[in-house]
Amino acid sequence: MRVSDGSLLEAEVAKLIVQVLNLKIEPTQIDPDQPLFKAGLGLDSIDALELSLAIPKRYGYQLRADDPEIGEIFASLRSLCRSIEKNRTK
Amino acid sequence: MSLGWLRQRERSNRLALRVISWIALHLGRSIARTFLYPICAYYLAFSREARQAIQAYLPRVLDRRARWPEVFGQYHCFASVLLDRVFLAAGQYHRFTIDLQGHELITERVARNQGCLLLGAHLGSFEIVRALGLTLQGTKIKTLMYEENAAKTRDLMWTLNPALGEITIAAGLPNTMLRVKECVDSGGVVGILGDRRLGQGPATECVFLGKPALFPGNTMWLASLLEAPVILFFGLYRGGNRYDIHFELFAERIIIDREDRSRQVQLWTQRYVERLEHYCRLAPDNWFNFYDFWGELQ
Repeated sequence: MRVSDGSLLEAEVAKLIVQVLNLKIEPTQIDPDQPLFKAGLGLDSIDALELSLAIPKRYGYQLRADDPEIGEIFASLRSLCRSIEKNRTK
Repeated sequence: MSLGWLRQRERSNRLALRVISWIALHLGRSIARTFLYPICAYYLAFSREARQAIQAYLPRVLDRRARWPEVFGQYHCFASVLLDRVFLAAGQYHRFTIDLQGHELITERVARNQGCLLLGAHLGSFEIVRALGLTLQGTKIKTLMYEENAAKTRDLMWTLNPALGEITIAAGLPNTMLRVKECVDSGGVVGILGDRRLGQGPATECVFLGKPALFPGNTMWLASLLEAPVILFFGLYRGGNRYDIHFELFAERIIIDREDRSRQVQLWTQRYVERLEHYCRLAPDNWFNFYDFWGELQ
């Protein structure tokens, strides 16, 4: 059940990323283990800021720049979803 | 424009900075300044790319052909500002005569605990503005800095003034802009430079001094995400020990529709470029983008 929950959330967050950042790809094209930044999906720090503004609106989870795990959280779609799952309030 | 250029410039800046800072701290400012002439002559003779860039820039800003002393003056102004960074980092503000215009734009906001974005350019001295921030009601102007490229410059400056470490935001990390937003939201002041595009980042084309050039395509978008006032700043070096610092309100809010983003970013950036032109004409020798800015040189 956890597994299906996880992939459901991944699909939802992938959609959010594509929507918020106006990416010219389908949400399903985002590999959950691919790096979100630089070499992977190619997002930059301003994209990260936009996601950080969108995520609390949807999930009630405010990302913090000085969270010691911030690098890990932004590493991939999967790790981002793990963090949302753990901290979401809605 | 390319990262290769950035590395090359950083290398040469680092060498020049190390040499003149040693002289400055051991022999004083006026003696150090006499060393700027041979240093500048060396760069004028051997840095072809920089010389060509200056020769492309000057006729545009002056509306006439540039004379050799003016080309040399460009290096000399750059070297002077670089040298003064050493004194500013060491907290020796008393050495300078600073004329301030519009600084209440910052202090009033800081007093109300309202954060803002300071937007400048590689025109004149960023450090003089930051130094001013440290003296003005303890306003901390945080600045973005690329860790890997500025490492040596940073080490030197931080040795001179450890407080500088606290007012730097590491650039190029996923959380960089989130940190900027948090800082501004909590009443802080963040300074960035909007004229130089790094690597393959997004760009927007604006007419600068009569010819289209590429400017960063995400600065204005960032400003709109910050939902904070944007204040322009230029710390112009006017020779001797004089600096003129100009602050100017650019926008209380930059609002950009996501659907129309690229067009509106271009319009806002063009507005910024027009103010940049104004200050370039005020102090032509303060322009420190010594590379092929218009993408026209071989």
